[in-house]
Amino acid sequence: MKVIDVQPQPLLGFAKTLRIALSGVKYRLFRAMVTVAVISVAMAFLMNILAESLIKKTVAETAQEQIENMRRVDRWIARLSIPQTAGEIIEQAAVSETDSDAIANLQALGRLSEPETEALRTLSLDARKYLAFFEDIDYGRRRVLVGSAETTLIFDRLQEPSARDVFYQRLGDMRTIRFISEPEAFNTFLDNWPILRALIDRIRSGQSIAIQSIQQQMAGRNLMESLRFADGAFGDTIRNAGFSLSAEEGRLLAEQVGDVADSSLIEDAVNHADVRQAVAARRDIMPGDVTPALVWDMLKREDHAEWYLARMMEAGYPVSDWNSAIIIERAASRAHAFLLKQAERATVETGGGLMGIGERMTWLAFVSMLVCAVGIANAMLMSVTERFREIATLKCLGALDGFIMTVFLIEASILGLVGGIAGTLIGLIIAILRMLAVFKGLLFDALPLGSLFTASLLSIAVGVILAAVSAVYPSFRAARLAPMEAMRIE
Amino acid sequence: MSADTSKTMTEAAVADTTERRVIIRSVGMKKIYRRGEETTHALRGVDVEIYTGEFISVMGPSGSGKSTFFNMIGALDSPSEGRVFIDEVDVAQLTAEELAFLRCRKIGYIFQSYNLIQYMTALENVTTPMAFGGVTPDESRKRGMALLELVGLKERWFHRPIEMSGGQQQRVAIARALANNPSILLCDEPTANLDHRTGDEILSILEKLNRERGVTIICATHDHRMMNMCDRLMWIRDGAIERIARRDEVEVQLASIE
Repeated sequence: MKVIDVQPQPLLGFAKTLRIALSGVKYRLFRAMVTVAVISVAMAFLMNILAESLIKKTVAETAQEQIENMRRVDRWIARLSIPQTAGEIIEQAAVSETDSDAIANLQALGRLSEPETEALRTLSLDARKYLAFFEDIDYGRRRVLVGSAETTLIFDRLQEPSARDVFYQRLGDMRTIRFISEPEAFNTFLDNWPILRALIDRIRSGQSIAIQSIQQQMAGRNLMESLRFADGAFGDTIRNAGFSLSAEEGRLLAEQVGDVADSSLIEDAVNHADVRQAVAARRDIMPGDVTPALVWDMLKREDHAEWYLARMMEAGYPVSDWNSAIIIERAASRAHAFLLKQAERATVETGGGLMGIGERMTWLAFVSMLVCAVGIANAMLMSVTERFREIATLKCLGALDGFIMTVFLIEASILGLVGGIAGTLIGLIIAILRMLAVFKGLLFDALPLGSLFTASLLSIAVGVILAAVSAVYPSFRAARLAPMEAMRIE
Repeated sequence: MSADTSKTMTEAAVADTTERRVIIRSVGMKKIYRRGEETTHALRGVDVEIYTGEFISVMGPSGSGKSTFFNMIGALDSPSEGRVFIDEVDVAQLTAEELAFLRCRKIGYIFQSYNLIQYMTALENVTTPMAFGGVTPDESRKRGMALLELVGLKERWFHRPIEMSGGQQQRVAIARALANNPSILLCDEPTANLDHRTGDEILSILEKLNRERGVTIICATHDHRMMNMCDRLMWIRDGAIERIARRDEVEVQLASIE
């Protein structure tokens, strides 16, 4: 039998294949646009989730920092009123670096030696780890393991050999729980617990002595008033009593206490009958409807602030040295604090998952990708079906299967690229607008441009890859199509 | 009519052409379509030999297996039983690449519905098979223009199919079929969708190709004008060759009937 003299078919240049694919897209512009729309909607959804979650994450971090800052007053009032709990001291002492301020503070209050301080630090690290374990398991199981004991009382309870035996035995029965360390390590810790407890007790009694001495020197004023002088005489009092308070911290503390006092004065004036009447008249509402929130909102404006200051003076508040700028600043700061709280609430779900956007959001993003894949696959399948004749004709003209697959894959990738870019832009814009509505000014402090850019690239890449992958099967079918389809006259 | 008689007639018909080379040969070619329980015998064993440079008209009512016959001898489908040799090569033995090569170089296809690629210009349509055949862009452009000139559409090379009449589209399709100088031209009712005058033009082009270039033309048709220019006529009915005869014999018969 004669052997056919086949020369291998030259691979068509990429440019030529691309041109054929492009002119195919151009010819079926409407169908292509529908496919692009499907892809862009899915990608917009994905990008929206990514962008919003990333913005929330950054806002949450920024807000957390500022909230911590704002709580300085609360922290110091708590610290100067009652000794810390054992748990709080452990949390404070469980730091990896030896030269932290917190450790120095505890060392001074408890009058601990260097080795004792080191023991406090290392044991606290262990203690925090075990406390976290007992914190994480649910109440029912904790009850089974250690009875009604909570926090550090658990360690006290497990000092008794019988309680420890019961603990290990029941822990062994709970197949779903894995203890975080070997029993030997935990036993060693429990044996050392009395040492740590003694250190903590010394710190606590040091704290209560210090608190007493401070209270004696406050001379009848309350703590809040005294803290207005934290940058001066009262700061020295605090330091003398044994607490560590840096000059900078003292300055910030005094400033914040002043701000808090100003704010409470302004808010207090709302309840003054004359002021309330005046506000009601100015806003044309019932006096009973005048709330602090309404007044604060009003005070953001210069003319209202000035007017309100005059009313406060008339009502006899000690504000003769104030100007309207103070009131406006207080109102703005209050609004900012409100935003921060809102941010904190809006961002509880962040952390973990893809790019730190949270487990639930990662799942949503994954589902949107699935929906996108199905949509694109469907669109590509239809595109292939309606081009049976063209494909068959090309095969009659000598096209190889690989060429046809390449054309369709390129076509899908182009659609994926266009849809991906469009969808990403849409998703990004919607996300920024929506987040702007929630976080307002806070957004611009915390716009994560870098990770948003990464997310955009990711989302475009996902669009292209999804389009290409979902086109594989239809284009495979198209390539395998018998050329006689073209001959068939219908 | 039995296969034996048709074979005898074939032999008689080609008695004076035996010195010519056989280009397509089918041996016991059968095609059975199975759709669920139902089996359709599209072809029931066709033996035929077609010689180089021949112009053959294939006739038969629709459903006669004519299209299936075309698919088989055009290497577009493989028979369920029997063999097809194109240029002495068994089509069933070929790989996908070899089939693509065969379709690209050896055979030109002309369809009733033209089947031009809608988004390509006339010239691009003509040069696409050349690209598959490995002709350089410059060369294929030159050859494409020459082919368009041959079918009288040189001035309209940049038009897309939608901008051309049916006859013009069919002429582009002929130019495309000739792109890689095939030795066989398979035409499936090339004039069916055209008016009488345009059909004449197409037929004269086909005749010219056959006479001047020696291209083997196999043409399915109901067009009686085709009979006047072909060498042999073939009738297919119920998946078998009913009759095969030289044109002069048919004319004698027609005359005797009259």
